[in-house]
Amino acid sequence: MPRKRSRRLSSALILMAGALVVAACGEKYPNSTFTHLTDFNTIIDGLWNRLLLLGTIVFVFVETLLIFTIIKFRRREGAPDPKQTHGNTTLEITWTIIPALILVLIAVPTVDAIWKTEAKASDSSIQVQVIGHQWWWEFRYPQYGFTTANELYLPAGRTVNFQLNSRDVIHSFWTPQLGGKRDVIANRTNYIWYTPDSSLAGSVFNGFCTEYCGSSHANMRFHVYAVSPADFDSWAAHQKENAAMSPIVAPAPAAPATPAAAVKVASAATKPAAPAATKPAAPVAAMPASEGYVFPLAKMPPHTLPQTPFPVGDREVKFDESLLAGGDAARGHELVSNMAHMGDVPCLTCHIIKGEYMVAGKQMFTDDNAKAPNLTHFATRHTFAGGIYPATPAMLARWVKNAEHMKPGSLMTTLGNGEYAPSMKSKRTTGLDDRQIADIVAYLLSLK
Amino acid sequence: MATTAATPSYEQTGIWSWITTVDHKRIGALYLYTALFFFMFGGLEAGVIRWQLAQPNQHIVSAELYNQLFTMHGTTMIFLAVMPLSAAFFNFLIPLQIGARDVAFPRLNAFSYWVYVLGGTFMTLPIFFNTAPNGGWFGYAPLTTLPFSSGLNIDFWVMGLQILGISSLAAAFNFITTIINMRAPGMTLMRMPVFTWMSFVVQFLLVLAFPVITIALVFLLFDRFFGTNFYEIAAGADPLLWQHLFWVFGHPEVYILILPAFGLVSEILPTFSRKPLFGYNVVVYSGIMIGFLGFGVWAHHMFAVGMGATADTIFALTTMLIGIPTGVKIFNWIATMWGGQIRFTAAMKFAIGLIALFTIGGISGVMHSSPPADLQQTDTYFVVAHFHYVLFGGSIMGIFGGIYFYYPKITGRYMSEVLGTWHFWCTFIAMNLTFFPMHFSGMLGMPRRIYTYDAGQGWDTFNLISSIGTGLLILSTLIFVVNFLKSRKSGEVAPGDAWGAGTLEWTIPSPPPDYNFAEIPFVTSRYPLWDLKHPERTSGIAHSAPDVMTITDAHATPVHEEMGHKTAAELGIPMPFNTVKPLIAAAALVAMFGGLLFMHTNQFAVAMTITIGSASLFVGTLYAWLTSPLE
Repeated sequence: MPRKRSRRLSSALILMAGALVVAACGEKYPNSTFTHLTDFNTIIDGLWNRLLLLGTIVFVFVETLLIFTIIKFRRREGAPDPKQTHGNTTLEITWTIIPALILVLIAVPTVDAIWKTEAKASDSSIQVQVIGHQWWWEFRYPQYGFTTANELYLPAGRTVNFQLNSRDVIHSFWTPQLGGKRDVIANRTNYIWYTPDSSLAGSVFNGFCTEYCGSSHANMRFHVYAVSPADFDSWAAHQKENAAMSPIVAPAPAAPATPAAAVKVASAATKPAAPAATKPAAPVAAMPASEGYVFPLAKMPPHTLPQTPFPVGDREVKFDESLLAGGDAARGHELVSNMAHMGDVPCLTCHIIKGEYMVAGKQMFTDDNAKAPNLTHFATRHTFAGGIYPATPAMLARWVKNAEHMKPGSLMTTLGNGEYAPSMKSKRTTGLDDRQIADIVAYLLSLK
Repeated sequence: MATTAATPSYEQTGIWSWITTVDHKRIGALYLYTALFFFMFGGLEAGVIRWQLAQPNQHIVSAELYNQLFTMHGTTMIFLAVMPLSAAFFNFLIPLQIGARDVAFPRLNAFSYWVYVLGGTFMTLPIFFNTAPNGGWFGYAPLTTLPFSSGLNIDFWVMGLQILGISSLAAAFNFITTIINMRAPGMTLMRMPVFTWMSFVVQFLLVLAFPVITIALVFLLFDRFFGTNFYEIAAGADPLLWQHLFWVFGHPEVYILILPAFGLVSEILPTFSRKPLFGYNVVVYSGIMIGFLGFGVWAHHMFAVGMGATADTIFALTTMLIGIPTGVKIFNWIATMWGGQIRFTAAMKFAIGLIALFTIGGISGVMHSSPPADLQQTDTYFVVAHFHYVLFGGSIMGIFGGIYFYYPKITGRYMSEVLGTWHFWCTFIAMNLTFFPMHFSGMLGMPRRIYTYDAGQGWDTFNLISSIGTGLLILSTLIFVVNFLKSRKSGEVAPGDAWGAGTLEWTIPSPPPDYNFAEIPFVTSRYPLWDLKHPERTSGIAHSAPDVMTITDAHATPVHEEMGHKTAAELGIPMPFNTVKPLIAAAALVAMFGGLLFMHTNQFAVAMTITIGSASLFVGTLYAWLTSPLE
């Protein structure tokens, strides 16, 4: 009876395993490394196929030999002691040489692939500086002169040469479908290059940080949009421009700006006409004529749209979503550059919005040492916070309110009044109310 | 033949005798129990990890706790479970296999154990206070430097590893001295049992590899406590310094973990095939070879750091080279069974399991050795699959085999073969269910060390299977625990020669008397007991040197069967005194490091008081220890 039951149990287990395997086969593998989408992955996949073939041959040979041996030479009752052998030099030399030969078959294409993939990228390639931060990606296009974050646009068919640096700990830059990874290290510049196939225009790929980098290592993702060269040029031309609402206007009457800051604003805003600084810019009307190309949200396949759930339990961030519809971008615009009257540091302390300047306080960062993602054309991005949230008003509002709860370890401080700030181990008694957050969200989403 | 098992001599006098023991067998048993405890603790940590990853976007534990769990899972399994499990066998077996009455420095041996226990506890306890180490078992700088990890978490790790390093080094010197100086007459190096040989190689690896990580850790400790700049990126440090130092230690460490298991398997397979090991010389030389080459391959852990094509090429080739001696061992083991009369005991099943599973780990290892391919594999679940096939499929399977094999020698009773068979099949199936799918999730793009992942990435099913496998693995370990505990009391009584094996440890009673050998035996071949019982098995072996001392009829076995139950005093054998000094010295050492923690809570005076006080106690104890007689 127990024997029967155990047999039934084992057949149930086998059935279950079988069902899972079938289920696994039905799944799609959007991050598979077995692709030929770039020259880089084509080389690697060729190498992999050889490794897999030889590995399978060795595996089948050794395991078959092992199983054959233990079945054939199992003890039989009453059998005499087996014939004694202690070694066989010829045999042992043979099974030393054969593995060595197999390794030669691997070593030759390996060395060839090393020198191919680590050669210098062609001079005509697009340069992208990738800067790793805890826990987001900064992407700079030095040939075009702009900076973006967490979303990378690449013209299909052109070689792209990534120059990798870190501002803090070690990260690793990986887009499984497009190429191998390369570590992103402070005080050290690494390179990796590949050429997305020209047929890829209009596709999106997931990217990941693959070097453990602290609390939110799992939340350090990014997206790669391969687009046609024309679309890329249109996108790049727009990204170069200043933010939609810039230049900033004079501080609203409620916010007493220091004279020094006012001077700074004035001097910084020399290019635009002076009158612009006297009345708030109308949010939509002031937008540049061309919005530039943006990868259409509708064309994003499900696996590229983050589904990270809202934090729950003691990390839950409550927000009155009915306020979002009434968010005022102009008021948000002012808050972003000036929260001095609330005793808070404005967003521009750490973020850069090209064309915007701080009204009160000190602009601490230039484009070269930014501490937080560049928000200049934030509204052209579909995701934020290291690619883990879709850029929807509900998500953004909670993020602004309490980023530390939305993303473990986040270096963006908790801003919502009354919110618990893990980094300070206390509840905030000042900060933004939901109304103000709705305004900031409206402003961020106007940054086309 | 006795009908009840003799009580092991090392169980006679209560808890104080365990605390003060300097008997290598009792210390071996202590290592075994403690390491099995940590093995289960590390397994439970893995259980929580797999629970969290069973489904996408789950939050069973927070990101912070998850990071502590995977750090401690790795650290626990390597430093607190597998290494000490090997140490249990070193302690118990080396003196028995070479015909010695104890290790060279019995009190130092006790000191090693106590430092291990206290250091392990020091590192493990913080997980209950959410301050466990969280920088990964590899502790990459600059993440572990003060600007990026300001809590006490990393301090526990840095100091814990320093403490454990002292334990390993002390033990390694002890075993090297023992093996070189205390072999029974006639036991030339090339007559040593293969387990002792592999252990011998491992001790040299420990002695050469641990100083490197000690230096790396001292740098980190000084950075964190005294403001030096070895790894401070703000001061221009090159983060690769840590990686090179760590992996110069870290790769030999892999062989430190696997070679003892290879040694155990090389004892088990001949016994249950009734044939001597096929190609003893080659197995020994390939072990030495692996040890040497193990120091020349460290940078294959760093193919993604941008070392340049030349370095990548060199390390790819050396790494491929190390596959050859490893493959040779596999074929020698199969050839040992070939033509034999294989008895499928639980121990033998685990030994065969090692060959089957380690082969898979070896093949995926060769796949990593190719840097361009490795760029897709490194830091993904493919690597997690690889090293679990090596360390679980290799080390743990070998160690389980060793436990079933030597349990009768340690306790005087056999473990249940029925439960052992259940344990084996459950483990074998669960192990593959857990780790094989990781090959797929890795190659399909899943990074390592992530506390959560998004749905729809093509990883859901593989992760679910892995998690189910882990549940089964925990279950199968419970079967083992039941077997282990139950057999102590009710297992079948085992004679001295429990399995018909050929090496010296089987010539004495089970469990062995505290002096091991009533008379130190003359050794005439690699399998002295077979010389006596099955001369046909050893007659053809070319002995390593012409034997001028061969006195076959003076073989020790009959002597032990008669005299093995007498006490040391009756036989006039001097035994070392029990002493508590090693424990005090170990406690003082741990407190010396622990005191420094108060520096990070801004209590400099407290820190210095504890540290200097403990250091004085340590030196004082050492003085008392060295001036008191051993026996």
